[in-house]
Amino acid sequence: MMDLNLGPIFSSFMRNRTGALLVVFQVAIALAVLANSAWIVRQRVETLNKPTGLDEADIFVVSTAAFNEHFKYEASVQEDLAYLRTLPGVVAAAPTDAAPFSQTGFSTDVWTNPTQTGAPQELNAFSMDEQGLQALGGHLRAGRQFRADEIKPPLAQRSSDFVPEVLITQAAADVLYPGKNALGNTVFDSAGQPAAIVGIIDNLMGSLPRGLRTAYQVALFPRLPEARSLIYLVRTEPGRRDQLLAAAEAHLAHSNPDRVIKYARPLEQFRRRLQLADSNMEIFLTTAAALVLITTCLGISGLVMFNVNTRTRQIGTRRALGARRRDILRYFMVENGLLTTAGLLLGCVLAFGVGAWLTRQYGVPKLNPFYLLGSVPILGVVGQLAAWIPARRATLVPPSVATRAQ
Amino acid sequence: MIGYHLRLALESLRRTPGLTLLMLCAIAVGISTCIVTLTVYEGTSTDPIRWKSGRLYAVTIDSWDPNEAANPKRPNLPPTQLAYKDVKYLLTSDVPTRKAAMFRTQDIISGGGAADAQPVPITTRVTSADFFPMFDVPFLYGTGWSAQLDQGAEPVIVISRELNEKLFGGINSVGRTLRWNNRDFRINGVLNTWFPLPKFYDLNRGAFDALEDAYVPFGWAEALGRFPNGGRVACWRNDPIGSFQQFLQSDCVWLQMWVQLNDAASRRRMQAYLDAYWADQHQSGRFGRPRNNRLTDVRQWLIDQEVVDNDNRMLVGVAFAFLAICLLNTVGMLLAKFLKSAPGVGIRRALGATRGQIFWQYLCEAALLGAAGAALGLLLGALGLQGVHALYARGSIGPGGYQELTHVRWASVLWALMLALVATLGAGFYPAWRLARLPPASYLKSDQ
Repeated sequence: MMDLNLGPIFSSFMRNRTGALLVVFQVAIALAVLANSAWIVRQRVETLNKPTGLDEADIFVVSTAAFNEHFKYEASVQEDLAYLRTLPGVVAAAPTDAAPFSQTGFSTDVWTNPTQTGAPQELNAFSMDEQGLQALGGHLRAGRQFRADEIKPPLAQRSSDFVPEVLITQAAADVLYPGKNALGNTVFDSAGQPAAIVGIIDNLMGSLPRGLRTAYQVALFPRLPEARSLIYLVRTEPGRRDQLLAAAEAHLAHSNPDRVIKYARPLEQFRRRLQLADSNMEIFLTTAAALVLITTCLGISGLVMFNVNTRTRQIGTRRALGARRRDILRYFMVENGLLTTAGLLLGCVLAFGVGAWLTRQYGVPKLNPFYLLGSVPILGVVGQLAAWIPARRATLVPPSVATRAQ
Repeated sequence: MIGYHLRLALESLRRTPGLTLLMLCAIAVGISTCIVTLTVYEGTSTDPIRWKSGRLYAVTIDSWDPNEAANPKRPNLPPTQLAYKDVKYLLTSDVPTRKAAMFRTQDIISGGGAADAQPVPITTRVTSADFFPMFDVPFLYGTGWSAQLDQGAEPVIVISRELNEKLFGGINSVGRTLRWNNRDFRINGVLNTWFPLPKFYDLNRGAFDALEDAYVPFGWAEALGRFPNGGRVACWRNDPIGSFQQFLQSDCVWLQMWVQLNDAASRRRMQAYLDAYWADQHQSGRFGRPRNNRLTDVRQWLIDQEVVDNDNRMLVGVAFAFLAICLLNTVGMLLAKFLKSAPGVGIRRALGATRGQIFWQYLCEAALLGAAGAALGLLLGALGLQGVHALYARGSIGPGGYQELTHVRWASVLWALMLALVATLGAGFYPAWRLARLPPASYLKSDQ
């Protein structure tokens, strides 16, 4: 076995206990921050990378509002849709009552029996016409889409008429009819009115991705939206969104003097707003982890440099007595390795403590040990690198300094 | 003596420019991350109306489903909003000094300024006359309306400074007419700049939502005859709601209500008033949940509604952990630096300097570093806040939101000063103390 010079290392610890302890504590705190940050970032990345099921890059949203009594709702919708659907480059356009990801919209409880027995399932509903699914960029998995003659007129005020047919996502089908084929089955609203499930669509995010237990329990209703919540969802050919958005906004602003355009914007804006907190948290924590790593390195380098400087004569003496350069290098690396290891061990305890506290206090999922074990070698290797730079300087001390008077 | 200490300290720092710079950076970066996170945190947790927040109370009654709490995650809290019929009754109480019910709507306004001006979509707060004096809302021109005007459908409107600038170029527009939802309204007042953060009186759309563009009397809640469409409406009953009148009579909650109660006695009386109303309604079959009528003051309201984001708390924790690492680092470097000057200290001690003088000498050096670090940290913090502002702004649509909190405030400067003190004491105390206690004799020998 290689001689690691543990004796002299320990006796030098005892001479500069404070410096050694400072490094141990730094490494421990750094590990706790690093492991927990990585773990939290991981949660956020998972949320951010959830597929939306929508063709969100090619969709824009136009919101309009009537402001006088001359406004004819259904005629206006027909006219607008006729314009939007014939605009070259538009794949599909549909009226609906809420933009996906916008956190405003409608949700409704449904049951699989007319008597509201058992717990209801909450569905995030879009009222749309027959082009709704294409306008979202969604995919039909089974069954059929709505026909134009099935589209119901908008509800008069807050009437409680249900729709005869619905399209639901696979996620909604799974919770309503677990283990069974939901297609052809029926759902009932809170008044016991039935709706036939005529089609199952691939999972897509609704307008209330945060409000519901899952973002994917979505239903499409074959109905024109209420006049006051009318928006148009327009899907274009790839790359033509911005150009068509500008064209549509300019046209619709003047095509009907009885209403105004409240906004016309890419659907991506809503998604960005929804994801802002998570994506910023990701950036903040990554920055913090990088700063922690850099600062810890500086601390380690500083201590080793201090040790090298104060021990110049001893190094010279050892060199004069026959120690090779790499023996000197090894001495400092082993010394630092021991300190870092102690710091990492203490850090493991601290990281789990902090993790447990975060779980209790803020509901962060329990720290995955893998993230801790992953951070240990990173910090260990970076710490050794930080020690290596000043330690290499120690090897350049010539043996002659030992013989020189100070 | 302090001047002498400072001069020596400066001298000593100059002797090791590299190390000094390193320590300075460590302190500055540590302090700046704390400033950034604390500024945002403080913005979210701040009391927006601290001079009277203890006298303003949100009124809530647990009118929700007997079988399920309004917020299953926090079942002890009543719904945050009230039903129309309850508000109508509670507004008749003469116990509160001031009282206001309110909700937010989306509307179209036209007819301002230029004749060919396009109609503009705006947001409106339909509220009581007391809204303005109760929340100390500042007026640029004109005033709010009198309480009598809350009863009927009086066409008076108060607009925000921003809307006045957009429609009238900022002139005194009091007395002019605007079309609000296709009806003529007389402008009674123009608000001055006012942006309470958090927007405590209506947290439905987030605590940092933009304020409304206009305000109209509460009578319009009913007179407008249409369902509210800019706030949150929550219903628990399955009964169908066919007409607007049915909606007003329903148990759907959609209104916020605030009262000002100036002393404990009136607070007790208001609570008794609420409890009596609850008992009466409970008798007649409503309010099937246990009695939970609350008067919640602003601070408690912000806590109950969890306005401070957990992310912000965690980031403050990370920032302080980082500051701790930076300080440990600085302690190490200072210790190394101070111990190197031990022979000099030995001479000073031998010449009669006391331990106290040595201690103060080196603490001075640390304080100098701390002060410089705080100044640099404040600068870096301001830059950091700009960066955070840009990060939040990239995802926002319109004004409002977290980016409103990312400005350097006096509180940030105060934080910097306090952190500098912490840094000085934390990083400098031990090395200075250690040096002061060194036996001078051992360092006077020619050879260590």
